[in-house]
Amino acid sequence: MGNERVRREYLSEDEDLSQQQYFGERVVTTVRFSTDPRDIGWVRENVPCQAACPADTNIPGYIRTIVEGRYGRSYELNRIANILPGVLGRICSRPCEPVCRHGWPGNGKPVSICHLKRSAATLKTESHRISEHLYTPTGRRVAIVGGGPAGLAAAHDLSILGHSVTIYEREVRAGGMLRYGIPQFRLPRDILDIEVQNATRMGVTVQTGVTVGNGEGEVPLSDLRSQFDAVLLATGCMAAMPLPLRDQDTDQDLVAQLPNAEYGLDFLLDLHRGKTKTVGQRVAVVGAGFTALDCARVARRLGAETVSIHIRTSENYIPVMDEEILEAKREGIPIRGLRTPVALQIDDNGVGTGICFVQNRLGGWRASGRREAIPIPGSEFTEPFDTLLVAVGQRTVNDYLDVPVELDRWGNIHIGEDDMSSVKGLFATGDFVSGASTVIEAIGHGRETAVKLDNWLMGRVRQHKVVRIEPVDKPVRERQFDFIERQDMPTAAVSDRFDQMSTEVEQGLDADHSLEEAKRCYLCYLKYEIDVDNCIYCRACIEVAPRDCIKLVEGVAINDDGTYGELEETGVWRDAAAIWIDNDECIRCGACYTVCPTRCISITKNEIITQDI
Amino acid sequence: MPSSTHHVVLGNGIAGNHAASVIREREPDSRITIVSAGALLFYNRYDLPNVFRGRQHWVDYLVHPPEYYESRNITLRRKTQVTELDTRTQTLSLAHRETLHYDKLLIATGGHAYIPERLLDYTKLMLGFHNFIVAMQAQKSVRKGGTVIMLGGDVMGIDLARTVIATGHRVILVLDSRTFWPHEVTPSERVKYLQALTNMGVEVQDSGRVERIEMISGTGSARRVFLENGEHIRGDVVMPFYGLVPTVDFLATSGIDMERGILVNPQLQTVRDNIWAAGDVCQIWSAKHNAYRFFYGYRNVKAMGEVAAHNMTGKKATFTSTVSEELVINRDGTLYSPYWEYD
Repeated sequence: MGNERVRREYLSEDEDLSQQQYFGERVVTTVRFSTDPRDIGWVRENVPCQAACPADTNIPGYIRTIVEGRYGRSYELNRIANILPGVLGRICSRPCEPVCRHGWPGNGKPVSICHLKRSAATLKTESHRISEHLYTPTGRRVAIVGGGPAGLAAAHDLSILGHSVTIYEREVRAGGMLRYGIPQFRLPRDILDIEVQNATRMGVTVQTGVTVGNGEGEVPLSDLRSQFDAVLLATGCMAAMPLPLRDQDTDQDLVAQLPNAEYGLDFLLDLHRGKTKTVGQRVAVVGAGFTALDCARVARRLGAETVSIHIRTSENYIPVMDEEILEAKREGIPIRGLRTPVALQIDDNGVGTGICFVQNRLGGWRASGRREAIPIPGSEFTEPFDTLLVAVGQRTVNDYLDVPVELDRWGNIHIGEDDMSSVKGLFATGDFVSGASTVIEAIGHGRETAVKLDNWLMGRVRQHKVVRIEPVDKPVRERQFDFIERQDMPTAAVSDRFDQMSTEVEQGLDADHSLEEAKRCYLCYLKYEIDVDNCIYCRACIEVAPRDCIKLVEGVAINDDGTYGELEETGVWRDAAAIWIDNDECIRCGACYTVCPTRCISITKNEIITQDI
Repeated sequence: MPSSTHHVVLGNGIAGNHAASVIREREPDSRITIVSAGALLFYNRYDLPNVFRGRQHWVDYLVHPPEYYESRNITLRRKTQVTELDTRTQTLSLAHRETLHYDKLLIATGGHAYIPERLLDYTKLMLGFHNFIVAMQAQKSVRKGGTVIMLGGDVMGIDLARTVIATGHRVILVLDSRTFWPHEVTPSERVKYLQALTNMGVEVQDSGRVERIEMISGTGSARRVFLENGEHIRGDVVMPFYGLVPTVDFLATSGIDMERGILVNPQLQTVRDNIWAAGDVCQIWSAKHNAYRFFYGYRNVKAMGEVAAHNMTGKKATFTSTVSEELVINRDGTLYSPYWEYD
């Protein structure tokens, strides 16, 4: 392997090798760092949760440290990738969990990765010290427009990299959709406050109540460009998508015209800006995302008698976690599927009285990964409402751009591979580029952009990703951990939820339940390998394997990028070129390691880290 | 059709058993496996209220004699929980870590009692009536002349109430929007039907929904049910009858189309070529209603089993419901549901 530094030694029992990993007479290596594409590819392929995380969180790492009772370290491992672990531990959309190997067929339910993130944040000691690795000040100045998750993530990383950063935030406090979109019963504001402060305390200046724009009292973008070395736009998707209805002119918006209808995003923004919001007895919510669910649950807390959510497909296909759906239902909010809104019923006084739907059937899959709904002609019906809340999507607002910048066909800013727009020094990130996404995607994109912006400012690449490969002296996972059930998140009693908007519904796992849940993780970053040169083909490992995880192979395909591909399996011993541990099947139980008479099986911990160049 | 075709039927109820029987008639040599989560052989759930009349041996409820399966060369795997369906490899994952391959699959897992999500915290304080063992528990929990508190009051509950009252017990029914489920009733019909329930001896409690349930210490299954208006009622046992919810949890990652139940066409086929669904688990496309609908009742469910079996064995059959969906008030002022009919 190219640039790795490997030492292989046979050790005897009496040698003093305290500086090295010492395992009797096993073949050992010291900790090494590799940029070999096969090693990086191995982690990407074999640690599916980390690969699915837009922020590249070392999930097995932080879960393992929970098992060890090292909550502070677990929090820091999270924070390396994501500056808001306590926040994301509550509201993350969890792209990691659907791909968790514990959720693969036959393996049970995925690990509660998100809940464990919260556990790390909650269970760390009060005197926990956060770690930051500060670079020398560069003298470069960066303005960031928008103090939401993408802007905060970029600001943190850029300040760590030594740049002087100023965030311009139009609201009175930073946090963006976290503060103004997500209700307090899902995200307590004290948690948000602490983590936002930690993200900005390394010298980030946060100018709140300052709008970047062309109006009176506003700061023109062009001024920022002249005052700063670079400007990063992270203004998110802060406008609601209109509800398409028949009998509605293209420039008409019936929802906006009705006194008892409102876009869900505006409803939540107003509420969290401190406006008094009221709803009628019967509330209909149209939409299938987090905003729709949040609107419905807020409406219940504002005293609505009946609240229902209306969606085009079915609840199996909406981009919301099952737990959120269950909690909405426990609060008495049904989800009514297979219906598309087509018209509004309006009385003589201009007040909406009902919403007409057409019945749908399920169609194929859209390129976006969402399910298609196909309206059935002649199947219309009406649902009455006193208040209608519409949450069918969000879009960007770019009327504040006073520089000629290239936009794509959807009106979003167009950026290149370097995340820079068509205007030199003007970068963009987060939902403002991608359209409405999730908080973790925004954070992940913000961090990526920070690195690219740093490369541009400094004229060179200062960091790269490597795989840190550390020998592990013995199996750390036990077979019986497989049979631990996923731990349920305790929640507040339904009857206690409605008195105050700030009563948090999910209560968090305690230390005991966190430990049980953490034990379930397969620790996919542990690589079990057989040293073919020392293997005597005794079959002992195959015989003790609890699954079909150790295979006879004739060869292994090599992919174009140098990573390993499919195993060429054989059932015939004389054709076997090697015995190979299939990491897709391996549950890291260590049975093979323990039984091997020649100690030719090694375990290494493989983690992707960022290193200076 | 090759004789080695392995038909796997999930569910040991009316739809599943009838389908297995028809498949066997049409394909004497094929392999048939019924997978059942329960411990008992196929028994008649419609008869279960008779535990209150003293019919308390499980054998009395069997539809077929125990030797039936062997004589038909049908493998019945009891106490077997399916956890996942992989349509790509055509395998079922079982809870005890075994996998089971199928060539053709019928999902007839039925439904289980729906507990409104707001009452989930009190699930352990309620007793269902969904299988023989629980039915026996319920019967033993009620003192002679004691009180059963029924929540919701779907047609299965009302059916049970008839027997419970006839055997000298009290039934207090706490109303809900799902009372009379699955019948859809208008407000004016509801008034008439509630009167009919009163005529039948049911004590109708219309003071709001259930807020919470408390255990009465030292009394076994006795409970106190608190209503939204602050009142509370006491009973020997609390039984939820809020209708059914399809048993589809194991299909979450299968790629089979679902809304509340499995979505099927009138031939009861799912979106997968070799997978059908029948019974209370499926929503069938109804051109008449322009919607996917559930069809309940013994005769509908049995007919679905037959249609699915025909389609699984190469014949083209279409499901049509023949069961009336109207509640009826008898001449004596009592209530009658067509869903109570069975052979």
